[in-house]
Amino acid sequence: MFERNKKEDHSESQEFGSSEPDKTFGATRKSKPRKSDGLATIGRSIQISGDLRGDEDLRIEGDVSGTVELRNNALTIGKEGMVHADVYARSIAVDGETRGDLYATERVSVHVNARVQGNIISPRVSIEEGAHFKGSIEMDQAAVEKVLGKPAPEQKAKPEAAKAAAQKSAKETSSNLNPPAGTA
Amino acid sequence: MTVSLRRALSEDQLDTSQALHAPLFQNVLVKLDPSERSVLLDLGAASTAMLALFSESRCCVEIADVAHFGGCDRLNSAEPGPGLFDIAEALLPERVTSDPVDIVFCWDLPNYLSLPALKALMQAIGRRSRGGTIAHALIYYAERNMPKYPGRFVPTEDRKLENHALPGELVSAPRYSPEDLTDNMSGFAIDRARLLGNGMQEFLFRF
Repeated sequence: MFERNKKEDHSESQEFGSSEPDKTFGATRKSKPRKSDGLATIGRSIQISGDLRGDEDLRIEGDVSGTVELRNNALTIGKEGMVHADVYARSIAVDGETRGDLYATERVSVHVNARVQGNIISPRVSIEEGAHFKGSIEMDQAAVEKVLGKPAPEQKAKPEAAKAAAQKSAKETSSNLNPPAGTA
Repeated sequence: MTVSLRRALSEDQLDTSQALHAPLFQNVLVKLDPSERSVLLDLGAASTAMLALFSESRCCVEIADVAHFGGCDRLNSAEPGPGLFDIAEALLPERVTSDPVDIVFCWDLPNYLSLPALKALMQAIGRRSRGGTIAHALIYYAERNMPKYPGRFVPTEDRKLENHALPGELVSAPRYSPEDLTDNMSGFAIDRARLLGNGMQEFLFRF
């Protein structure tokens, strides 16, 4: 069903069973986004009806209806792509047509000649001139975070806060093996 | 490019390429408090410039792009009555918030609607507005003619307005009077009006 532009990296398949499902979109995720050598593509002759989930970046050139969930990854809807679905991803770029709400923890980009009908909830939104959009764009950071959860530390937190969070995480991970180090 | 485009305009075409100084539009922007949450309804097309303008504010922007999605024809061809109101409501975007709309950007769309169509559209907008909601509109008034299709107004860095619609055929403008608008804006009353340099009348309405 999926085409691959390049060979799949089978070494990553070990990660599938280990990632836990997120409870809040973008807020409490623990799994890291998978990166494959090539971009998975749904070709223009493919039609999918139902829930589409994955853990790698995806390009859609075919027709998809239902729900698309690539919560930690990037989704591109190509010029030939038609998506009638609510979409959840880390970033969403639209060159084709969508009907449904677009949720992205990082960014939504609507490119020239794209046709988008639905709402956009994302901290960063760009719509190129020549694109056609009908819907609502939530730009209030508080309202966005209410829906998407707070940005993950690795994305937005200040370096000091990220460092402290990493140290705390490391302490918790190693706490069963080593006694806590004394404060210097 | 701009120069050659301007030269190519014949005498029966309006020059819409000049940035338009629209003081009431600027007035609306000045009054927008970035620390307060605001809901904006844009009846025109989405533009990066408009989004950039509001990116520092706590805004929810609802974009209808009425003209592109066939709204003018559907509204103008429908018989007045409940059906017309339903069409108008369907042209507005689905809502992600229950907060009422604070500002409506009509641009030049009212010129392209019959008065019953305008009434129905503003009635639908009124359903998602609050007391004090402001509507901004540009009405062809001094000129007898106007472009065949609604403009695509984009704010510049100095908050003027550029019409990015391609120049084309002209049609006669309805030249709605303040009385026409008062009777057909469905509860939006004229608050302020200014005659602009290009002959358009700029209006602020208050619900």
